Amino acid sequence: MAEEHNKNSVRPVAEKGEHIIARHLIDDDAIKEEKNLVIDGVDVSGRWNTFIETRVDSEYDRSFFDEIQKTVVGSRINRCWQCGMCTASCTVTPLYRRFNPRSFIYMMQLGNLKQLKKYVDVAWRCVGCYKCSQRCPKQVNPAEMMEALALLIKKYFPEEIKSKHQLIIDEEVKKIYEGMILGHGRLDLANLHTSAMRKMGKTSELLSDKDERGAIFKMMKDGRALSVLRLGKPHKWHKSKDAIDKYLQNTGTLEQESQV
Amino acid sequence: MAENILVIGGGPAGLHAAIELAELGVNVSLVERDTFLGGNPKKFKYKYLFPDLQPADDVIGELIRRAESNGNIKKYLSANVESFKEEGKKFNAVIKSDSGSETKTFDSVIVATGFEHFDPAKDSKYSYQLFDDVIDIKDLERMMGEENFNRPSNGKPPKNVAIILCVGSRDRHVGNQYCSRVCCTVSVKQAIEIREHFPQTEVYIFYMDIRTYGFYEDLYWKAMEEHDVQIVKGRVAEITSGPDNTVICKGEDTLLRGPFEIPFDMVVLASGMEGGPQSPEMANKLGIELDEHGFLKYANVTLSPCKSNKDGIFLAGACTGPKAIADAIIEGGAAAMNAYIYAKKNS
Ligand SMILES: Cc1cc2nc3c(=O)[nH]c(=O)nc-3n(C[C@H](O)[C@H](O)[C@H](O)COP(=O)(O)OP(=O)(O)OC[C@H]3O[C@@H](n4cnc5c(N)ncnc54)[C@H](O)[C@@H]3O)c2cc1C
Ligand code: SF4
Ligand code: SF4
Ligand code: SF4
Repeated sequence: MAEEHNKNSVRPVAEKGEHIIARHLIDDDAIKEEKNLVIDGVDVSGRWNTFIETRVDSEYDRSFFDEIQKTVVGSRINRCWQCGMCTASCTVTPLYRRFNPRSFIYMMQLGNLKQLKKYVDVAWRCVGCYKCSQRCPKQVNPAEMMEALALLIKKYFPEEIKSKHQLIIDEEVKKIYEGMILGHGRLDLANLHTSAMRKMGKTSELLSDKDERGAIFKMMKDGRALSVLRLGKPHKWHKSKDAIDKYLQNTGTLEQESQV
Repeated sequence: MAENILVIGGGPAGLHAAIELAELGVNVSLVERDTFLGGNPKKFKYKYLFPDLQPADDVIGELIRRAESNGNIKKYLSANVESFKEEGKKFNAVIKSDSGSETKTFDSVIVATGFEHFDPAKDSKYSYQLFDDVIDIKDLERMMGEENFNRPSNGKPPKNVAIILCVGSRDRHVGNQYCSRVCCTVSVKQAIEIREHFPQTEVYIFYMDIRTYGFYEDLYWKAMEEHDVQIVKGRVAEITSGPDNTVICKGEDTLLRGPFEIPFDMVVLASGMEGGPQSPEMANKLGIELDEHGFLKYANVTLSPCKSNKDGIFLAGACTGPKAIADAIIEGGAAAMNAYIYAKKNS
């Protein structure tokens, strides 16, 4: 059927939106082209059937904000006043300009999933250094907001994650996660990231990406890598550890019922 | 017999209160812990005051001269109220100064102990005291006052200056959630002064909001429109050393949505105002209340500012919260009237 359409249409549709001047300014998603389109009985297939969706934001999705606020990591979303101190202090932003905790929090506040979707490829890059949380004047705890963001992306854009990264959240990764929490009392995302890649047999991938390699070397050179790895254990950790051990005996896993 | 009223603190608020009372014929005891009168503006040698860039001497110097020439004001310098007791409707105080201790009875009391500048060294991200060329607004006031606007590191005029707003204010981490109210206006005023006297020096203001409330907005407009001061929306999270003896401000430009690391010859931190150790000291000694921000508390912020929670003790100036000199002076006058009425009724 589709083939037939192609044959019958005035002209085969090549690249999406190819007639648009300054095409680079428009997102793929915003361009609508039907191969065969009839409006009010008039066949507008071909050249005339390219439509660009309006780029004016026309609503705020409040339900989204509420959803994030209910999670443990995202509970302080209502505090953020967009000052930018988190991004200013972030370890990752200078390496990946598109990774911007402040702006991600803003998109989450306003429920702008359309925007967030564009950053699925970088949104998980937080290394958990907590420099942002140390400095945030409103004590939003942006480092944990980045976890809320990761959960959210996992829920709303599972396809993008799969296609872009083939991320496998398997038993092995869960084990690394638990080992880290129980052993150190903290989540060291840089470490989790590399361990997970190793377990999945993708260590080489870690170093093949030019940006990533540059980032790792730069962080080793200026001492940031060390400061990330040197996170101490929380005060009186053994007490919390006992509690978690007990919890684990009952439930068998640390992973929360996905709330986001 | 004339009334006796105690005024604690010889800044703009205390000076004005003392002068007004003295003109009503009251015997005023003015207790100042420093060796001089004039409060913070004198201590840090403010040179030109906002809003109209009036020489500080025309205001502060004038107040000091009036107070010093009035025979009804007994000044105690390098002094403090050592002990304080209520006795019926009156107050007994021991005033300790260089010339010894003196016990006196007062009909009412005005507290005008002012504020302390936030010490930026308490917020390590700004590297204050680490780099010579990172200074704060009170340091800059003093430098301008001493006509020595040069880089502390090498004595040369700076090519560019970054002014960072909201240092020590509006920040849960440092424990001050309030806005210090004057630092935006002081900063745009200082930007104008720099550009006026040193046109080669570029000035950039890093802001989160610019709160030049009311007519102070005129200065903000003037800084931009007449002096080409640049404003950048974003905060600085780290100050490090840079090439050629510069300091690098690392931050985010929230409008451009991206990080910056820009070298400057000099950084000025707009540090805010705090209640200082004197506010709790006064609260303890006089038995009045402290508010959650570390300043002294009004009995009713709307209906009766100037009144403390204790009858006969009145408050004026920056000891109750950040404010400009004009407001401190107005409160000094209002507190004087309140203290006078109380004294009249009970003497
Ligand atoms: C950098 C900077 C620049 C400023 N520039 C301007 C400007 O241009 N224009 C303007 O309108 N406002 C300006 N202000 C605001 C101005 O400084 C205040 O409004 C003003 O100083 C408040 O006066 P005050 O008398 O209440 O307090 P203060 O000036 O703080 O005076 C309080 C006095 O009380 C004394 N004292 C404290 N504790 C005791 C004690 N226990 N016993 C005895 N004495 C005590 C202190 O030594 C001091 O002399 C500026 C503020 C800052 C931070
Ligand atoms: S999370 Fe904190 S630091 Fe980041 S923009 Fe919001 S208030 Fe500022
Ligand atoms: S914790 Fe994550 S978001 Fe925060 S500064 Fe570190 S890398 Fe950036
Ligand atoms: S007056 Fe301006 S610089 Fe000062 S705390 Fe308020 S907003 Fe910040």
